[in-house]
Amino acid sequence: MRSGRREALWTLSLWLTAAIYSITWCTLFGYDRSVDSLTFVLWFPDWFFWGVVLPWGICTVVSIFFAFCLIQDDPLTSSWDTASEDTPPDDRTALEEEGSV
Amino acid sequence: MFDVIRSSAVPALPGFLIVADAAPAGNPRPTVGYGPIVGLLAVIAVSVWLGARAQQVVRRSSFLSGYFLGNRGLGAWALALTATVQSGGTFMGYPSLVYTHGWIVGLWIAGYMLLPLTAFAVFGKRLAQLSHRTGAITVPDMFRARFASPKLGLIASLLILCFMSVLMVAQFKAGAILMKLAWPSSASLAISEELIGPVDAEYLFGLMIFAATVVGYTLIGGFLASVWTDMFQSVLMAAGVVLLFALVVPTASRAGFDAPTLAAVNVTGRAFASGPGFAEPGRSFLPPTLALSYFVVWVFGGLGTPAGMIRLMAGKNTPTIRRSIVMLSIYNLLIYLPLLVICICARSVLPDLAKSDEVVPRLALWATDGIWGGSLVAGLILAAPLGAVMSTVSSYLVVIASGLVRDVYQHFFRPQASQDEIRRAAQGVMIALGIVAVLANVWPVEYLQTLIVFSAAACGATFFVPAWMLAYWPKATAAGTAAAMLTGAGTILVLLVTGIWLKSHGWQQLIDQRATFSSYYPGGFHPLLFALAASLIAGVVVSRVTKPPPRSVVGRLFLAPPEAAEAQAAGQA
Repeated sequence: MRSGRREALWTLSLWLTAAIYSITWCTLFGYDRSVDSLTFVLWFPDWFFWGVVLPWGICTVVSIFFAFCLIQDDPLTSSWDTASEDTPPDDRTALEEEGSV
Repeated sequence: MFDVIRSSAVPALPGFLIVADAAPAGNPRPTVGYGPIVGLLAVIAVSVWLGARAQQVVRRSSFLSGYFLGNRGLGAWALALTATVQSGGTFMGYPSLVYTHGWIVGLWIAGYMLLPLTAFAVFGKRLAQLSHRTGAITVPDMFRARFASPKLGLIASLLILCFMSVLMVAQFKAGAILMKLAWPSSASLAISEELIGPVDAEYLFGLMIFAATVVGYTLIGGFLASVWTDMFQSVLMAAGVVLLFALVVPTASRAGFDAPTLAAVNVTGRAFASGPGFAEPGRSFLPPTLALSYFVVWVFGGLGTPAGMIRLMAGKNTPTIRRSIVMLSIYNLLIYLPLLVICICARSVLPDLAKSDEVVPRLALWATDGIWGGSLVAGLILAAPLGAVMSTVSSYLVVIASGLVRDVYQHFFRPQASQDEIRRAAQGVMIALGIVAVLANVWPVEYLQTLIVFSAAACGATFFVPAWMLAYWPKATAAGTAAAMLTGAGTILVLLVTGIWLKSHGWQQLIDQRATFSSYYPGGFHPLLFALAASLIAGVVVSRVTKPPPRSVVGRLFLAPPEAAEAQAAGQA
């Protein structure tokens, strides 16, 4: 559970960083631009290339790094797993034991 | 082939196929040919075959876990290409927005740059673990087991039914449009011109064929049929993007990389190449507040989608999840940005399409007209979005049917139901859903993407915070989780109703897409942000003041199992 939560928090931090960068760059350099001032990198207007294409490429590389190096291999199954899935999870027993909602 | 000036001089005629829009001067009007219909029939045939193969696998296992969860055996390719939000929207709604608003749509979709990582790393491992430990095969099953609360399971089922049904119904329209566009004869085009309003023979015929096919193969193959057709369509979609890119982009950018954008700007306005995007006077498609919002919408909406959560539950093991992140990261990079370039080029070569939803199919027909075997190539390209739509509908059918049958019928009415009885109930529900979707699409809504975005956001608002509580917060309670679900769903619905009410009183929402119905965006931010905040507050506050679930339940789900503790002790020794 801890490794899962740690990886989730790292991922969400990375997402926040990418969002802040892309939106800031595009807002500063991509809004209300005159066509004459635009330059192009391949088919992309300059603001779009630096604000979206480049971070997208970096995020792809970072995601691959995360997948190979940071995400821990944990077993998904355990001796506590429920044996049969043919009947719904038995919530009634627990309810009766504890008298909970 | 065609140049910008000639095609831009051709007026758009509602109801015509692209062959009417882009006919080269001096040549007879090209016909659609049989390629597209052959391509679509091939997709249908493969899908039915996959459904039959899936049925054989399900027969060899327990019906419930086989039919609704594929025996938890999804490999990396299946997980990568099917667990996220590629859908009819990818090949119809998104291109439509690019065609209409320009480059800024790339910022609108930019949240996808981290979607593969967020989709798998945030919940992937925990949902799979919890699913195994509880024996849950549906999302409501897991909520019920995790919190020992049948009421919470029922609430989750009903909310899934509401939002997923809207998503599914919206996709039927996309399928019907594609079937209509592939119609081979010019005589049929004449019929569509003469008919008035929604009663369009080709559309209705396409709708029937689409519904019969997708409901049919899902009915026989269940979850695995949905996953396999999803994989098939993902490959088709990639092939379609590659083909379209090769056919369209070099032609459109013959005069330079900047030529497509400048040509598009000429027929629209300067906003097509900058923010906040091209739109009718007075409207602003994507102000910065909304750009920020969509980073949240795609990621959290995707994480909260039950169709995605159920596939995470079906993952085989952790290495599978890691490989899926790699595959999907590369796949998304190669799909969304090239598709953006293609649709910018579309605006330069087909500047006056009456229905922007049809831009990819029309572009496919245009690009392959007059080349040897072009009709078949167009068929392949057209088949990709049809496959995407079919697989999306199929996955929603499985989620909705499993919710109704497992979580309502079996839990509350027939706990001792036999496997055969469950099978019959599931199939009956799927047929009923197909009929409802067909009836709802006889008068289709205006913007496919509007419905998809709203429902995806509603799913995110409803299920993201509860899923986080389920996975990572042992002290979360059933009442707190229910409060989070209902508050998230309620907030987003209240903002939708407010938007509709304001519009009916003459106040126009002047940002985002123009649609027949639209939510109210407080401060220019998407409603999902407010719904998530409200959901989080409600979940935490109510959990703090209510009784937590039994320790016997929580301990088993949050503590390391005995073998893990032994392994750790052995490692330390």
